[in-house]
Amino acid sequence: MTTTAAPPSVVLPAFDEGRAGLANQMRSEWTKLRSVRSTWVCLVVVFVAGIGLSALVTNIEAGRWGSLGLADRATFDPVRFSQTGTFLSQFVVGVLGALAITSEYATGSIRTTLATTSKRTTVLVAKLVVIGVVVFVVAEITAFASFFTSQAILLAHGAKALPAGATILTQVRSTTIPYVSLTDGAALRAVFLSGVYLLLLTLLACGIGFILRHTAGAIAAFVGVLLVLPLIVDVLPSSFASSFEKYLPSNLGLAMTLVTTRKTDFAGVLLPPWPATGLLALYGAAVVVLAGWLLVRRDG
Amino acid sequence: MISASGLTKSYGATRAVDDLSFDVRAGVVTGFLGPNGSGKSTTMRMVMGLDLPDAGTVTIDGHRFHDLRWPLREVGALLEAKAIHPGRSAYNHLLAMAQTNSIPRARVDEVLGLVGLDGVARRKAGKFSLGMSQRLGIASALLGDPGVLLFDEPINGLDPEGILWVRTLLKGLAGEGRTIFVSSHLMSEMALTATDLVVIGRGRLIADTTVDDFIASNTVATVLVRSPAADRLAAELRSHGAGVTTRDDGALLVTGLAAAAIGDRSLAAGLPLHELSPVQASLEEVFMDLTSDMVDYHGHSPVQVGS
Repeated sequence: MTTTAAPPSVVLPAFDEGRAGLANQMRSEWTKLRSVRSTWVCLVVVFVAGIGLSALVTNIEAGRWGSLGLADRATFDPVRFSQTGTFLSQFVVGVLGALAITSEYATGSIRTTLATTSKRTTVLVAKLVVIGVVVFVVAEITAFASFFTSQAILLAHGAKALPAGATILTQVRSTTIPYVSLTDGAALRAVFLSGVYLLLLTLLACGIGFILRHTAGAIAAFVGVLLVLPLIVDVLPSSFASSFEKYLPSNLGLAMTLVTTRKTDFAGVLLPPWPATGLLALYGAAVVVLAGWLLVRRDG
Repeated sequence: MISASGLTKSYGATRAVDDLSFDVRAGVVTGFLGPNGSGKSTTMRMVMGLDLPDAGTVTIDGHRFHDLRWPLREVGALLEAKAIHPGRSAYNHLLAMAQTNSIPRARVDEVLGLVGLDGVARRKAGKFSLGMSQRLGIASALLGDPGVLLFDEPINGLDPEGILWVRTLLKGLAGEGRTIFVSSHLMSEMALTATDLVVIGRGRLIADTTVDDFIASNTVATVLVRSPAADRLAAELRSHGAGVTTRDDGALLVTGLAAAAIGDRSLAAGLPLHELSPVQASLEEVFMDLTSDMVDYHGHSPVQVGS
C-alpha cells in the first residue's frame, strides 16, 4: 500500500478521443450479469426444468393415448407437450430480467452504474441486449433440446409420423401416437417461437424493473400480467372478455407455440403465431420506451 | 475544478439545497462541511449527474457531467461505500466499472493494490467490513485516474491507521494538482486535512473560504483569568472596555482585551493573578456556533420523570 496515488502504469483513454459507448456498457453489463450467482441459478433452472417438465408431461400423455377420447386425440399436440417447461421458465426468466436492474437499485450500485456513464439510455439498451442475448441462447437451446427429448420419448412409446396431408380426422383415427419432426414447418416455428417468447418476457420484465426499481414490486407486476390478468378477464362477461382475451400476454405465448396446421379448437380465440409475436414485442417495446423516458428524468 | 452556480434541489416539500454557489479549486483539499442532513450528499450527487437540479448548474472542469466523454477519466467519486452488490467480488465490481470507460484490467489490479485490497479482491464484497468497503469505494474513485475527486464522508468506519492513510492520500492527490472535494460533519477532521472550506447549513452556503480565514474571522479571542479578587478584577477590566463573564468555578472569561493588557491592568490595580491563559476556539466550536440554528435534528437531554 502506497500513500499517494501512483500514476497509472497502463494507458487510459485520452480525454478528447471517442467516448464511452454502447460496446463499453455491454461489456460491463456482461461482467455484472455473469458475476452474480442468481444469473446462473436462473439459467440452470430454465434448462433443467424446461427439459424435465416437458419430458415428464410428454411421457404421461403418451402413456394415455390408448385411453384418450376423440376430442383429446384431436387436440393431442406433440410439439406443445415438448414445450410444457415454458410455463415454469417464463417466471424464471421474468425474475432474471427484473433482477438485472432491481438488484442494482436494492444494493445502491445503480449509483455506481450511472456515475460511470454520461448517457443513461446506454445503460438501458446495453442491459436489454446483454440479458436478451443470454436468455435467448439458453431458451432456444432448451426449446430444441426439449423438443428432441420429447419426440424420443414418443418414439419409445411407438409413435409414428402421420402421413403428409394428414387431417385432424387422420390423427383421431390413428392407432399410434402422432410424432412430428422438425421438417414440419409448423413444428419448427413453434419450437423457435417458444424461445422467442421467453426472450420477449425477459425484456418485458427488465423494462418493468427499470420502471418500478423494486424487486418484489417488479416481480409481482410481471406475475400479475401473466397469471392474474387472465383470471380477471375470466370473471368479466364472456361476450366482453372474448374480444380481448387473445391480446393477453399469456395467450400470445400460447398462440406463438401452437402448431396450428392441424388445430381448429383455438381458431378465432388466438391470434396467428407471427402477429402474436409482433404484438408481444410491441408490448415489450412500449414498456422499454416508458422505462427509458423515466430513466433520464428521474434522480438516480 | 468544480463550479456550482445557483444549485437548487427539493424533494417534495423539503428544500435540500437552496441556491448554492461555490468553486472548488484544483491543487488543494477542499472540505465540504455541514451538519447531518444539510444537503452535502445531495450536492455531491448533483455534481455526479445522479440527482438532477431543479435550478442552477454544476460543472466539472467546465463540463456538465452529462457532457463528459469518458466520465471516469474526469471525475471519480466515493458516495456510498456500501453501494455494491454483496454477491459480486471486489475485482468484478471494479472490472465492470472499468469496462464502461475502456480502462484496462491492469488498472483494476493497480487500484486494488493502492488501497490494500489486493489480498481480498476475489472475495464477495458483501463480506467486507465498513472500512474495507470504504477502501473499495476509494479504489473505484481512483480507477480512471481522474483530475476531480469527490469523497462523501470517506473516513467513516476506518480505524486510526486508515484515517491517517486517507488524510495522507487526499493531500497527496491534491499535491498532484487534482481537485479534491471531501465532505464531513467532523470539523476537527477537516482542520487536519483541508485547506479550503465550503460550509453549508440547511442547503445554504454559510462560508466559502480557507480553513485559516474561517477560524480567524469567526473566532473571538478569549482569555481565561483566575484571581482570588475576581469581582474587583472583573469591574476593573470592564471599565477598560472588556467583556467579562464569570464561570461557575469562579474563573473569568474575558473578551476584548489581550492577555498582556489584562496582566498590565491587574498589576496597575494591585490585584493578584493566579492564571492568565488565552483560549483558542477550536474549529469545532466555531462550526457548532455557526450552524447551531441550522441543525435540523437537535438532541435533547432526557427529561426526568417522577420522584
